[in-house]
Amino acid sequence: MSLFSKNKSCHAMQSGSESNKRKVVLVGNPNVGKSVLFNVLTGSYVTVSNYPGTSVEVTRGVSAIKGQQFEIIDTPGMYSLLPITEEERVAREILLKESPEVVIHVLDARNLERMLPMTLQLIEAGLPTILVVNIIDEADRIGLIIDIPRLSERLGIPVIGAATAKKRGVQEIRKSIVDFDPKQDVSLNYSSRLENIISEIAVLLKSDYRLSRKSIALLLLQRDNEVTELVKRVEGSGYQGLSEKVKEKIFEQRESFHLDLSMERRKVVTDLIKDVIGTPAKREVTFSEKLSRWTVRPLTGIPLLLVVLYFGLYQFVGVFGAGTVVDILEKKVFEGIFNPWITGVIKNLIPWEIIQELFVGEYGIITLGIRYAVAIILPIVATFFLFFSILEDSGYFPRLALLVDRVFKLIGLSGRAVIPMVLGFGCDTMATMVTRTLESVRERIIATLLLALAIPCSAQLGVILALLSKAKGATLIWGGFMLMVFWAVGFLASKVMPGDKPMFYMELPPMRLPQLSNILTKTYTRMQWYFFEILPLFILISIFLWFGKITHLLEKMVKWFSPVMASLGLPKETAVAFIFGFFRRDYGAAGLFDLQTKGLLDARQLTVAAVTLTLFIPCVAQFLIMKKERGLTTALLIGIIVSFIAFGSGYLLNKMLIITEIL
Amino acid sequence: MHCGFCGYDFEEKEGIKGCKNCPMTAGCKMIKCPKCNYENPPEPFWVKKIKKILNKRVQTL
Repeated sequence: MSLFSKNKSCHAMQSGSESNKRKVVLVGNPNVGKSVLFNVLTGSYVTVSNYPGTSVEVTRGVSAIKGQQFEIIDTPGMYSLLPITEEERVAREILLKESPEVVIHVLDARNLERMLPMTLQLIEAGLPTILVVNIIDEADRIGLIIDIPRLSERLGIPVIGAATAKKRGVQEIRKSIVDFDPKQDVSLNYSSRLENIISEIAVLLKSDYRLSRKSIALLLLQRDNEVTELVKRVEGSGYQGLSEKVKEKIFEQRESFHLDLSMERRKVVTDLIKDVIGTPAKREVTFSEKLSRWTVRPLTGIPLLLVVLYFGLYQFVGVFGAGTVVDILEKKVFEGIFNPWITGVIKNLIPWEIIQELFVGEYGIITLGIRYAVAIILPIVATFFLFFSILEDSGYFPRLALLVDRVFKLIGLSGRAVIPMVLGFGCDTMATMVTRTLESVRERIIATLLLALAIPCSAQLGVILALLSKAKGATLIWGGFMLMVFWAVGFLASKVMPGDKPMFYMELPPMRLPQLSNILTKTYTRMQWYFFEILPLFILISIFLWFGKITHLLEKMVKWFSPVMASLGLPKETAVAFIFGFFRRDYGAAGLFDLQTKGLLDARQLTVAAVTLTLFIPCVAQFLIMKKERGLTTALLIGIIVSFIAFGSGYLLNKMLIITEIL
Repeated sequence: MHCGFCGYDFEEKEGIKGCKNCPMTAGCKMIKCPKCNYENPPEPFWVKKIKKILNKRVQTL
């Protein structure tokens, strides 16, 4: 693809393009009002077509300004000249392939500082840019005053303040398009160190490109594949030396080049907007901004987190989902109506007792497997995923990552590890896979260990919270103990595996009121996925347990576990829940639920069993993924460590509770 | 799609689907954000269909 080289023939390739008209391309982040501006400029006669070779839609229209015809092109949202998604790739391709006479960068006035780095990239690429600071009415409303002439002077390009939805600033935009003078006499420079690096690359570029050499050099340093291929083709024999220089510079910068560049751009923007954005003393701070600040500051963030956990997790998932809803479904619907009916039907249909047992016996597919899946697990995961989707849609998770970043660093992790940790509450297996996105091997191992040890999956957590809510103070002891084990093990692991403190930075998306349609859709999809994943497994486990029962293997396993259970102060029947738990954590928790319903556990035993089962070895699926991700030795080691910690903690907690008589 | 973690907007096909290593891959329809790797649930098929019909109606009007 010769999209960066100066090759005029490529214009002819554009299907649907009004090639005889002067072109104006609208670019910018998604949701900044590009399409509104496009509609205002073009009216209703537009063509929408897939960009050649892609499924990305591009809209084109015609605008007549002062008697001149312009073809206006609305591009998909883009964040940077370095594309990640296909949409960004198409947007960049349009910018470069269609040689626009004017590029209008539309940005949101409320997020000027965040979006200006893209303007810098357009300017440094030598593209004929006009900046439209859109949604300026909203910025006014929250008290942001933007000095548009000063910004224009500093950037060296036309800048227009607009509220396109209200047609404000549209005439100025139209005038700027016609009167546009491509001369840019302002240079925006990075630090001398970075400028030197760029110069060393740029000086080796001998051919002409549609982008400035500086821009090409930066894209090479960011390992842009398309640009690398193009330069290789265009430079010919000169590429070898250039490639070695790029490699040398990338090696010198290690992995931090993207971060360095992003910080440098941020610094240029900070200098640019000095005295450009005014925030008067009486600036109205919106509630979402206030809330956003409260959530990331430890003093307010931690109490807020506790409130969220108490009402969301304990009250809604534990007490309501795992308590009230499970009680209705499990006791009234299944035990009261469905199970007696289906037992009668099966017994009438199948004369052999051993086969009857397979379906409706103690470990029957219907009376145990389906009952666990539908009556116990489903309502819990439904309430959990509902709570989870509300938090997710509000933008709380990235703030949680920032809040815990400092404390996570004490255990060798960073705020980034919040992603697998949060996902672990949904399913530890997939969360273990997500640990591969963490920066270092050290971080990945620590996160894998903590996921296997102290992060219960949603269904297990819900059942345990519901069980513990029946014994006063049990939840607090369980929560405190789990937190203590999490930090102690994480801290020790970070000391055993020393390494550099990981770095974490991220751009916070705005906090918003969760949308009902998003919440319901996400909850539905997650529930569907979870249910269809567990149902066959629960049926399979029931068959295995039935087989264990008829061959007396299960009895023997319970007998082997009896001394361990006794050392924890638990009745030998609890071994069944632990055996269940090895197959699936949620199945184990449901087993504990059954034992509690039968009155086999008092408050102390319940708490000890809950702590031990939560810390208990990962289920089969999680173990398999640990083996694939970290190797057999590490997976086995983690399995042994986790088992030791689980039973050791259970033993200690039991002794502590007996001595102190708290429960 | 809108990433529930970092807020990044991306096309569903740009995301990373069911990783090959996962023993649960057949049941998992989650799509990972190309920017932060957070796993996002895709819109159910019927929701997409309804949205498409509604969009067509709006365009016709």
